[in-house]
Amino acid sequence: MPNLPDPSVALSMQGIGVRFPTGVQALDQLHLELRRGEFLSLLGPSGCGKSTALRLAAGLAQPTTGTMQRAPDMRLGFVFQEPTLMPWATVFDNVRLPLRLQGRSVASVRDEVMQVLDLVGLTEFVNAYPRELSGGMRMRVSIARALATRPNLLLLDEPFAALDEITRGRLDDDLLRIWREQSLTVVFVTHSVYEAVYLSSRIAVFSGRPGRIVESIDIDAALTRDEAFRASERYARWCVQASAQLSRAYA
Amino acid sequence: MSAGQRQSVVAPVLVCVLALGLWEAVVRINHIPHYILPAPSLVAQTLWTDLPSLLPSMWFTIKITAGALLLAVVGGVLLAAVFASSRRIENAFFPLAIVLQVTPIVAIAPLILIYIESTTVALLICAFIVAFFPILANTVVGLRSADANLRDLFTLYGASRWQRLHLLLVPSALPYFLAGLRIAGGLALIGAVVAEFAAGAAGRETGLASRILEASFRTEIPRMFAALVLVSMVGIGIFLVFDWLARRLLGRWHDTEMHQSSN
Repeated sequence: MPNLPDPSVALSMQGIGVRFPTGVQALDQLHLELRRGEFLSLLGPSGCGKSTALRLAAGLAQPTTGTMQRAPDMRLGFVFQEPTLMPWATVFDNVRLPLRLQGRSVASVRDEVMQVLDLVGLTEFVNAYPRELSGGMRMRVSIARALATRPNLLLLDEPFAALDEITRGRLDDDLLRIWREQSLTVVFVTHSVYEAVYLSSRIAVFSGRPGRIVESIDIDAALTRDEAFRASERYARWCVQASAQLSRAYA
Repeated sequence: MSAGQRQSVVAPVLVCVLALGLWEAVVRINHIPHYILPAPSLVAQTLWTDLPSLLPSMWFTIKITAGALLLAVVGGVLLAAVFASSRRIENAFFPLAIVLQVTPIVAIAPLILIYIESTTVALLICAFIVAFFPILANTVVGLRSADANLRDLFTLYGASRWQRLHLLLVPSALPYFLAGLRIAGGLALIGAVVAEFAAGAAGRETGLASRILEASFRTEIPRMFAALVLVSMVGIGIFLVFDWLARRLLGRWHDTEMHQSSN
């Protein structure tokens, strides 16, 4: 794998095309450069190929054409659309899974598991089973699991889409806090304009069938993201801008 | 015991007692002779007096059933693992398994009894054939049922084949396997009894089916009923054991074993 020319780039996709065995062209001529420390949202409606792009970034799918490069020091965490927990395992064992797959013993990882559970505020539920938790709590467990290996690149595939508005807002804030505290690079797939603007330092707008990135919107990363931001005029302007570009992509 | 649990015990017991009472009443009021329909009280009495001669037969039937079940579990699970790992092998061999399953065991039993010298082994094979299929079919589905995202997660973290098997595939398949086991348990008993009927009362060691046959030749109807009660008890025992096993293994995590939401 050739080295990335620019050390500030975490991941780069050049001229990526993906054609499924069914003949559907999911992605075509996708160019994407992810910078370290960015919170990048991939915004587009369902079926536009943004999830496929995320799976490529994780190495879970291979491009038909083009090249994908990831900086060699990138450690991945992946959060699926559903919590995707093992129903037969406790919260502790679910979060421990990635470390266990690395061959590490229970005793050696106990502190690390408790630390990430603390990060998502679930330490008291360490011995609960997934079915005993609410939807929001399950998603927190899923995030904790993704953080267990101390990743520096976190990939999330519409993680909060199935949650209610209040829970979703809370998890958005948690994610932002973790992004800052852990100095992560985040790629966040969403179909919500409001969520994308609230969370991101940059939004990549997808056009569908075949999917590619048509617009890129920078959001001032230094701004504090809180209720005041949500109520601000700039927030509204960005939302209008993103919506307009989204509808242009689908005109 | 909670009120709900007590309710779940009291109701079936009540139904049982009522049914037996009705049976007893019908026999007594109509003066039905015991060689046509014995009253439950007479069946119970016969069961008590004939128990010493019936118990060894019951033990034999239990041994055949348990042995066949053990073979079915080992064979079914191993074959399921092979099937689940290759669609091509499954396509090639599954029809054979289905043929074995759909052909009534009573029809195959005489052949097996001719080919196999030892009656005990022949009975074991018959019971195995019936018990084997539900375990195979359920385990194959179970091994394939693992969540696609969880599979991806295991890929993402570079899980080895062994880790994937025992941390993901086996737990995913467990509820399916246990459901298959429950069906197979009942079927193994049926297979053992049916095959023994086909074999006729022969051999040094024989099971409950032979006792029923003998009693019917001598028109000892109460003894037939007594042996029948023991067959049912074996069946109920098997059911209870696997019910307990499923509860034990799936306990807190699986929906089928969770009757109340804990939220």
